[in-house]
This record gives sequence, structure tokens and C-alpha cells, in this order.
Amino acid sequence: MSRARASVIDAERGFVLHLTPFRETSLIAELFTREHGRVSAVARGARRPQSKLRGTLMEFQPLELAWFGQGEVKTLARAEWLGGQALLSGRALLYGYYLSELLLNFVAREDAHPGLFDAYERTMARLAAGELSPAVLRIFEHALLREAGHAPAFDRVPGGGLIRPDRQYALLPEQGLVDVSHVGAHDDSYPGSVLLAIAADDYSAADTRRHGMRIMRNLIDRQLGDKALHSRRLFQELLQA
Amino acid sequence: MNAPEALTELIAALRCLPGVGPRSAQRMTYHLLQHDRGGAARLARALDVALGRLTHCARCNNFSETELCARCASSQRDAGQLCIVETPADLNRVEQTHLYHGLYYCLMGRIAPLRGVGPKELQFDKLIARACDGQVREVILATNFTNEGETTAHFLAERLRAHGLAVSRIARGLPVGGELEHADTGTIAQAFQARQPVV
Ligand SMILES: [Zn+2]
Repeated sequence: MSRARASVIDAERGFVLHLTPFRETSLIAELFTREHGRVSAVARGARRPQSKLRGTLMEFQPLELAWFGQGEVKTLARAEWLGGQALLSGRALLYGYYLSELLLNFVAREDAHPGLFDAYERTMARLAAGELSPAVLRIFEHALLREAGHAPAFDRVPGGGLIRPDRQYALLPEQGLVDVSHVGAHDDSYPGSVLLAIAADDYSAADTRRHGMRIMRNLIDRQLGDKALHSRRLFQELLQA
Repeated sequence: MNAPEALTELIAALRCLPGVGPRSAQRMTYHLLQHDRGGAARLARALDVALGRLTHCARCNNFSETELCARCASSQRDAGQLCIVETPADLNRVEQTHLYHGLYYCLMGRIAPLRGVGPKELQFDKLIARACDGQVREVILATNFTNEGETTAHFLAERLRAHGLAVSRIARGLPVGGELEHADTGTIAQAFQARQPVV
């Protein structure tokens, strides 16, 4: 008993990122939790009609979770609805899936990222409140890339100098942001004023929204390599029709 | 010593069934071969016939032996209503209410963004063409109240409305006879969000 007790995690705040059917009546839940990061857990019997977990174990809702086990896949003991925000609806659902897919790709299992978790929770609350501006996505992408170590400091050049609003900067795979006057014309370059706004998560200017989308996308794709994000493709297919 | 190839092939084949792992597949195989050869022969024939004869109904996309299934061909159904469900099992459940007399369209799935299942995979175009036959007045979305079912309903509604169709969504909330005290919190939260004026 004492061995099992040592690996019991109780009353942990978290979200479901993805659910996959497992055996006849169970689910494997990919969870994102505040203190333990990404956790994979079997929810036994969660697909039975009478299961208490059925209406609770849903993506995009803050939950209080408990699990145990020492292997890579834990056993979910409990999931309680924390609530306080509406269910995602309409287009916000697609935003939600996109964020789930980003977390599944960028966050390794069982590495705690409380700051990123808080950013995710804030983002979910904004989506639930119907705030569907692209800025919501950019701010989360920024937090994610920064936490994963894949984002440059948007207000500084690698040597430590400040980004100047009146200059143009190229985003180079190795060095980061470099004044274009040092490297010549570059197709992946951005105005300094835009970079400073991105550093401050301020998307009030149309220019920042346009360039922000491009720079985040480039940074994400650079990490994903050949892998394409399903949710991004669906986004395009669903919205273009 | 290796097991006969036919035996390992059968075990491997049975694993395509949902929830069947290597041990269950082995147990089923030995059961069929040792204790129920008649049942095994029947299963083999039934599979063969089903695969050969069943196709998707041209109108509702459900399984059918004919180009048009009996329900879609029936003059007893109201061609002005079209109910969209995820699976044939869902369709059967709606039928059991004996309350709905319109026709159906079976998606055979739902939008699943993380598995890459989208409008193309679900052949939304086929459904839109079906709904735009000129007879349908109302499309009723009866996909599940999961996030994937909701996503499916939302994007179908957008497209169907763009074609000038009236679209409704089945209501969600507490089950009949459901008591608040015993309902799960998510269901109560949904019921509150989907509350309606008392008439
Ligand atoms: Zn039919």
C-alpha cells in the first residue's frame, strides 16, 4: 500500500488535451496539469453509459484530477468539474483543438510548466467567453514557444542590444533576430516596431496581427519540420467554404 | 516451432475488431476452431456476403443492399425534414422514439481535428448536395454532445445555412427523470447554458 501511496497525485488542476478509446469501455486521456505537466492516464470504464466520468472528462474545461501509478501511463482515479467558464462553442472549438495539438507537440510528458499552464487556462477562459481574436492565439503561441525555448526575445537582438522600432530584422534559424543591414534582403524579416509589439503581446495594430501570425507560424513550423498540424488544415478547410 | 500460418493469420485478422488485443484474438480463434466450426463458417459467409452486397445508400449514406435504402424509398416519410446523425446506431436510437418521421443522413463519423478527420473525410459535399434536393425544409443536427460532435454541428450549420436551409440542433441537458442531485456537474452546466424561456 505504501508504494502505491507514494505515487498518488490528488487534487491537481488540469485540462484534457485528447481522449482516445482504449479497450471496450475505457479511455486514455492526455492531460495537461499545472504541477505535473503533461500526463497520460487510463480512465477505466469512462465510456460506460453510467460512468460519472462521461460528462466530466471533456476537453477545454478546467478539472480537478487525481491519479496514481508509476508507469508511463497512470490510472485516473477521479476527475471533478471545476467549472466557472462556459463550454466552448462554434469556432472557439477549433481554436481549442489547435492549442491542444500545439501542447501535444511541444510539451514532453511529465515536465511541469506552471507558467504555461496558467497561460493556457487564461486562454481557455477567453475562448469560453467568446473572445475569438487572433491575438488570443498569438499570445498563447508566444508563451508556448518561449517556454519550450524556441522563441527569440522579441525586444532584443542576440548580443543584448535592443530592437529598434525603425529597423527591419531578419529571423535566422540559428542566430535569431538580426538587423537586415547585416545580412542583406531576407524573405523572413519583420519591422522592429512589430517585434516590440509582439514582445509586449500587443496586437492592437493590424501590422502586428499580420506579421505576428507569420512569425509564430514560421517558428512553429521550424520545430515541427515535415509534420503538419491537422487542426491547422481543418481550420483552413472549414473556414474557406 | 512456429504455429501454422493460417492460425496466426486468423488471430491477426481478429485483432481488427475494437477492443480485441492479442490474447482475446487467440481465445476467439481457438474457440471458433475447436468448439464452434459451424459458427465460424457462418461468420465467414456473413462477412463475405456483407462485404459484397452492402453499399452506402445514395441518399442517406447508411448501409444498404440497394442503391436507395427502404427508408429513403418510402413514401411514408416526410421528405421535408432531414436529420443528421454520426452513426447508424445513433440513427436507430432516434427511430426508436417513433416521434420523427423525416429522413436521415448518416455521416459515418464526426469531425476529429486531432485525428485529421475533417469535411473532406466526411464528404460534407455529398451531404450538402443531399440537403439541397429542393424538398428539405429543415435540417436537424443530431450529432453527439461531445466537443467533436459540437464542432461537426457548428460547421455543418454554417454551410447548410449558407445554402438557405433552416437548421436546428437537438436540445441538450438533463435526462428525462434526471434529478439535479444525481446528475454530473458537466451535464448541469450544459443544461444551464442551454436553458430556454418558459412558455
Ligand atoms: Zn437511405
